[in-house]
Amino acid sequence: MCEYSNKLISLLDHELPAEEAVKVELHLESCNECRGQISVFAKVSREVDAYCNEAITVNARRVAPAWASSAIAAGVVTAVIVLFLAWPRARVKPSTMQLPPVATANSLGVAGSSVSGSVPSIHRNNMRHAGAVESRIVPVQNNNSSSAQRIVTYDSQEEPMIQIAIPADEIFPPGAIPEGVNFLADLTIAADGTAEGMRLRPMLAGFERRTTRP
Amino acid sequence: MSGEAANPALPFSRLLTDASEATTLYRELRKPLLRYLVCLGLSSDEAQDVVQDTFLSLHRHLTSGGSQENIRGWVYRVAHNQARNRQNRYDRHFREPMDSEINATLDEATPESAVLEKEKYQQLGKAMRLLTPPERECLLLRSAGLRYREIGEVMGIATSTVSDTVDRAVRKLAEKCNV
Repeated sequence: MCEYSNKLISLLDHELPAEEAVKVELHLESCNECRGQISVFAKVSREVDAYCNEAITVNARRVAPAWASSAIAAGVVTAVIVLFLAWPRARVKPSTMQLPPVATANSLGVAGSSVSGSVPSIHRNNMRHAGAVESRIVPVQNNNSSSAQRIVTYDSQEEPMIQIAIPADEIFPPGAIPEGVNFLADLTIAADGTAEGMRLRPMLAGFERRTTRP
Repeated sequence: MSGEAANPALPFSRLLTDASEATTLYRELRKPLLRYLVCLGLSSDEAQDVVQDTFLSLHRHLTSGGSQENIRGWVYRVAHNQARNRQNRYDRHFREPMDSEINATLDEATPESAVLEKEKYQQLGKAMRLLTPPERECLLLRSAGLRYREIGEVMGIATSTVSDTVDRAVRKLAEKCNV
């Protein structure tokens, strides 16, 4: 090993006294081995710097998703639910709307009988991915209405009126929401079809299979 | 010194006339200090806490008429000691360098460059884990832009020892990473 080899990193860091630095620099002009070594040390130093810079960048990114993903999920799911409520009302035909008595007063919290008939079908179309939350909507045909209209009633008076399950993977990129986390929306629909109340809450698949009315 | 952090133009050598200079120092040193603490193994939240506590101590130090010589070394020494105290308080070692997190980020790059960068950082991370704690800390402080004398003050060792330790650490990395 060259006698100047142990001074190369100090030279690189400008830590050598001026006279000694001049000596080493003169030596470098004539020593291929030392020139090769100092270029290697310079490259390693640059890579350590880049590694540290990357580490802090990644660390900063890693903190944000912990709360941001939940907030974004809540916001987007809320927006989707509002769309569910608003969209059917634009196509309501009140004269054809009927709701079975059992669904009207007791279990559903609906004061009147005017509820959009398209709501159930839209909800049913979006139930296909509801894997984590079990659907308890039982569509039935109403004898008094036309065959194209579907009225929703329920198998139990203790259960909520409508349950919508929207898997996070249908809305967000894969991995944006931690696995097993879902959001459940409890809706109360007033007689005029507007949303009287809504409660959005996160739930863990496998731990909570049923919902209770607020 | 290497890297952007090693900026000799920073006004560290000037005398601090009052405590408001702490604000200037905060702007200049916050990011490199955070970088050092995170690389040392603290979480982002812990590093933020240590930085805040450090600059609070600096404010007290300056307003009580403390020495203004080598204030950058003073800041790093306080932060280093606080990080050590946290390590002792929670009876744990600093976690390993952030291989997995870096992997996650690099996945976002183009496939070829991501693979190359990932391999490079994985190799470097493994090599850094093989360093002794003093070697790793000297290397990180050097990467933060500190002079050997300042590193010695932060770690409580002689400048010549810092020189030897840095030399040894860089050679080990060069050997392990096949640069």
